[in-house]
Amino acid sequence: MAKSLSSLLFKGLAGLPATRTNRIVVPGFNYQHGMRYSTTVPNDPDTHDDFKPTNKLENSSLSLRDVVELDVQQNPVMIYMKGVPDAPQCGFSSLAVRVLNLYNVPLSARNILEDAELKNAVKSFSNWPTFPQIFIKGEFIGGSDIILNLHQTGELKEKLNDIAANQKTE
Amino acid sequence: MASRGANVVLSRANRMKTKLQSALSASVLEIEDVSHQHAGHAGVKGSDGETHFNVKIVSPNFEGQSLVKRHRMVYDALADELQSGLHAISIVAKTPQETGAK
Repeated sequence: MAKSLSSLLFKGLAGLPATRTNRIVVPGFNYQHGMRYSTTVPNDPDTHDDFKPTNKLENSSLSLRDVVELDVQQNPVMIYMKGVPDAPQCGFSSLAVRVLNLYNVPLSARNILEDAELKNAVKSFSNWPTFPQIFIKGEFIGGSDIILNLHQTGELKEKLNDIAANQKTE
Repeated sequence: MASRGANVVLSRANRMKTKLQSALSASVLEIEDVSHQHAGHAGVKGSDGETHFNVKIVSPNFEGQSLVKRHRMVYDALADELQSGLHAISIVAKTPQETGAK
């Protein structure tokens, strides 16, 4: 068991095809991380303000704060990180993913390196200045130090128990 | 290049030490620069290299506070540094009792 888990981990870290438990695209709504806003506004003086294209963010009623709020509500384990679970771009993000992967729970992730505005939205949502940031069942958990600590004390197991159980029955 | 980086690190580490000391009346305060471990890492490019630190703090102020709360207290004390290029801190935050128990 331990062996297969660690080989699974190694796979993930080596950036090979995604493991079953990692999903990057968050289901339920269509905000894409790293999404680009339209910057081509025509300079037509006859165009009334009301008809000028605005950016997607203004068009959708979804603010980035809403996006974050939905993320953490809809995804039992949500991580905002540098890079993606299969290829973290920071040692701390990598550590957090490794810890979470030990529990065989579905991991939803957004890469904040791809979207500076999202990054700022997450920071202000949690009032936490650094990444990674982990949310479990909507609760802000903290960064890699804290997730490692909770792993070591056994608290993380308690927090993730029912999520892991749901996985098995699905 | 290396020596310029070292000077910057020294000054940031010193500022951090002063700020944490006064905010948390720490009895133990260790700050270790580990920026070299993160050199060239995404999001750090272009900064001077004084970005990553390990911090160990023992403070009576942590008494009765959750880990998240303790980390917030540290981040709050270092808000200016975080604004000005400090990228990440690995934090060990304990109360005097917790260290005594070990």
